[in-house]
Amino acid sequence: MTYYALLFLAGFAGSFHCIGMCGGFACALGPDPRGAGATSVRHILYNTGRLTSYCFLGALAGGLGQVICTSLGLRRDLGTSFLSVSLDAGQRALAVLAGLLMIIMALSFFGLRGWRRVTGSFGSSTLVNSLRSLLRTPGHAAPLAFGVLNGFLPCPLVYAMVAQAASTVDVLSGCLTMVVFGLGTFPAMLAMGGLGRLLAPRWRQRGVRLAGGFILALGLITLGRGVLPMAGGHGMHHLWHIA
Amino acid sequence: MMMATPGTLCRHCLLPVGRRGFTRMVNGEGCQFCCYGCCIAHQVKSGSGDASEAAWFLVRLGVGSFLSMNIMLFSLLVYSGAFAGADRRVLPTIHLLLWALATPAVLILGEPFLRETWSQARRGRLTSSALIVLGSLAAYAYSTLAVFHGGGHLYFDTASMVLMLFTLGRYLEAAGRARASRDLAPLLAAESELATVVEGARERRRPVREVRVGMLIRVKPGERIPVDGLIVEGRSHTDEAVITGESRHVAKEVGAAVLAGSINLDGPLLIRSSGSGGESRWAQICRSVRDALQQSSRTQRIADRVVGVFVPIVLALAAMTLLYWVQRLPLDQAMLTALSVLVVACPCAVGLAAPMAHSLGIGQLARHGCLVRSPGALEALACARLIAFDKTGTLTLGRPKLVDLASDGVEEEEVLARLAGLERHSEHGLAQAIAMAAIERGLDPIAAENVQVVPGRGLRGVVLGESVAAGNAALMCELGWQLPPVLSARAEEMASTGHSVVFVGWSENARVGRARAVLSFDDTPLPEAAGTIDALRCLGLRVTLLSGDHAGAAARVAATVGVDEWQAGLLPEAKRVALDRYRARHGAIAMVGDGLNDGPGLASADVGIAVGSATDLARETADLVLPADGLWLLPWVVGRARAVRSTILTNLAWAFGYNLIALTCAVLGLLQPILAAAVMAGSSLLVVLNSLRLERLPGPSYPSAVQQPTAAAQAACEPPPRQQGQRRELALLKAEW
Repeated sequence: MTYYALLFLAGFAGSFHCIGMCGGFACALGPDPRGAGATSVRHILYNTGRLTSYCFLGALAGGLGQVICTSLGLRRDLGTSFLSVSLDAGQRALAVLAGLLMIIMALSFFGLRGWRRVTGSFGSSTLVNSLRSLLRTPGHAAPLAFGVLNGFLPCPLVYAMVAQAASTVDVLSGCLTMVVFGLGTFPAMLAMGGLGRLLAPRWRQRGVRLAGGFILALGLITLGRGVLPMAGGHGMHHLWHIA
Repeated sequence: MMMATPGTLCRHCLLPVGRRGFTRMVNGEGCQFCCYGCCIAHQVKSGSGDASEAAWFLVRLGVGSFLSMNIMLFSLLVYSGAFAGADRRVLPTIHLLLWALATPAVLILGEPFLRETWSQARRGRLTSSALIVLGSLAAYAYSTLAVFHGGGHLYFDTASMVLMLFTLGRYLEAAGRARASRDLAPLLAAESELATVVEGARERRRPVREVRVGMLIRVKPGERIPVDGLIVEGRSHTDEAVITGESRHVAKEVGAAVLAGSINLDGPLLIRSSGSGGESRWAQICRSVRDALQQSSRTQRIADRVVGVFVPIVLALAAMTLLYWVQRLPLDQAMLTALSVLVVACPCAVGLAAPMAHSLGIGQLARHGCLVRSPGALEALACARLIAFDKTGTLTLGRPKLVDLASDGVEEEEVLARLAGLERHSEHGLAQAIAMAAIERGLDPIAAENVQVVPGRGLRGVVLGESVAAGNAALMCELGWQLPPVLSARAEEMASTGHSVVFVGWSENARVGRARAVLSFDDTPLPEAAGTIDALRCLGLRVTLLSGDHAGAAARVAATVGVDEWQAGLLPEAKRVALDRYRARHGAIAMVGDGLNDGPGLASADVGIAVGSATDLARETADLVLPADGLWLLPWVVGRARAVRSTILTNLAWAFGYNLIALTCAVLGLLQPILAAAVMAGSSLLVVLNSLRLERLPGPSYPSAVQQPTAAAQAACEPPPRQQGQRRELALLKAEW
């Protein structure tokens, strides 16, 4: 459970980062003229769309990890996996990779440059331009579609979580990872839709740092799963499946 | 969805619409598109105002993705065994849920493909959409049967993901292609552009083609100047890169001439139009770019033909795969294999390989004032192994100066006065030199009558009742006029140092005349010629000089600019023969001339390149036209042409190679349909991205090895300012001596 709590917190703290980018979208989506109820539906649909995209990415990443490990013939029988003494090499490699990726991205939250250039590429500008026209469209399909596409906007936070999902080496766990993370972003994003920009930039900056801290912690744990000798790995693995 | 008229350009990506094209109403205006992806992308881009229709496409993509992602999610969970064991009894519910999600997903995402297939099928054509529709509908129908009649696997994820991936792939592809057309957009928009016409106190926006001589046009800063004209009011800087090839800020004040197509940079201007809007060089460039884009090169035609027969072949292959595997595997496995075959063999990438690289190349060249007549010309230039240059006006300034005059028994002044009168009727470059010399000495030309041009020889006419002739020794010979040994010796001496020599003679008392003087002229090579030739040689091209002038002059220019091979004294016809001989020995050849007197030469070369051409581009025969004074652009143009060609070749190699390998894998049952669709959609995206690499190549830079000590520093970054208008006129004055 601790693991998922950590993910949720990362999502929650990370949503201070979201406010900077996606929060703008939530604001632009704005209230529905038909009243508070319709506004809520609008924003819940938007966030559901976003969550679906995250889940999909998570499940895909988890599945990919699974396929890689299976095809390498490194995955053992399900029944014995978390009781066995050591983690297999494939999972270890994935964990190391994911952990390193997360640490790099966490560092970018602390203001280290370099990653931003990778994320702000050709695809994102095209997507953002496309999204603008959706904001003004009436009806319930548009916010849903907007949320779905929004979910694919390049975002270091999402990438970090997807890396985490891949290292779980399981479709369900990958999906759950992203669900929990996505739910963590819900409060802030829903609040943005209703209340507008509540938080001063200074607080947002702190929130972003906090998110960086959580991701760094997650990254270190994931990395630890990969490199630490079997005892540590074993413990984490337990925690993992209890969660 | 109506069919588009063939030969037009896609509204979004500006590639020819081709056979897949259709017309759709956007914002109340009929627009032609080459494919579904462009249609979406255009609506998304242009839908800034009333965006309902544009957004509708995105809503469709978004909702479709939402549904297919959920399908995929549940399918992945089912595959990964999350519902194995105790949870097995929820499986039928999950299956029903999948069906409920898949039905709207297939309808929403598949409709445009179905529509395209249907409209093409009514015309008896099969397009790649048919493959996608057939594949996903088969997967959907089979899975639906499995849900309601029990048994078997479900392939809803395949059905919806294939459609989603193709929709997404086409959209991204279209977005990439629109980037390629960025350079072209202003060129193609020129005809429909509006000019602000000032009529008394009122200002009206009128189409450029309705602008007549003498109208007053207002141009705001940042706007493109729509017509040629003179500035009546205001001052500003303009950028004439589109006309001259040099991106340079030129200061303009009241009374200065501005060119259509140049950009008004920083001040409002009021311009009196000096020609009608549709006749400016800019308008002509735009028309000719449009024409060029609508033509297809040989490579493209071959690719199109392949695409044409591809779809039926793939259908047959899929049927055979199904028949083969159904005997060895359960029906659903066999079907899946056949489905992979259908999905993987979409020939979009093949069709896209050449046109995108072409339009990128043509657009970039046009932005620097270089005009390409047809995409084939670019490919031919890329293949050329030898470049032949004309001398006068191409490698040289084309503005000779009188340097020496030797007469036999007559006054120099008399020679010049008679000659100047005669040469007034000539458009040759030497005529200008003679007129200048006469003016310098304060002489009035004596009027001449009955002046005729003797092609390749010179001029003859009547001055003061006596027949007068000026030209080379051959002309004197033909007339039967005697050439005094004194003069011929001097002439030989002059010619041996590489000067142009002209004999002048006249008759006395209507008797047979004789040569009375010999004049020598000097034509200086262009400052950038040596650097250009050097750069071309670095590109691995053989360079040769074909001159109509005599050997000495050709040799001198050849030595100055660094050409080792030259032929002199060639009449236009002889140049053609020489080119044929070179072609036999070296393969494809390019010929560079001034576009006026080298007509036959330029036409007989594989690529004719005109530098600083006639004012009327429509009459231009060269395949490639560089701006006046644009010789220095040539190495860049060659490099560009080669880059375009190599991009096309890598695109084709990728598209064909990929299709071949993927098809083999699919037939053997080694490829999952979803994976096939993903890689297929990625394949055309890869072609787009590979073509977009052309954008990153550097622009032209003026050769630094210019022998101009005074302006060396300046020349390194930009061409030295020369009197372009004057030189262009002088180039026009060249006749066929």
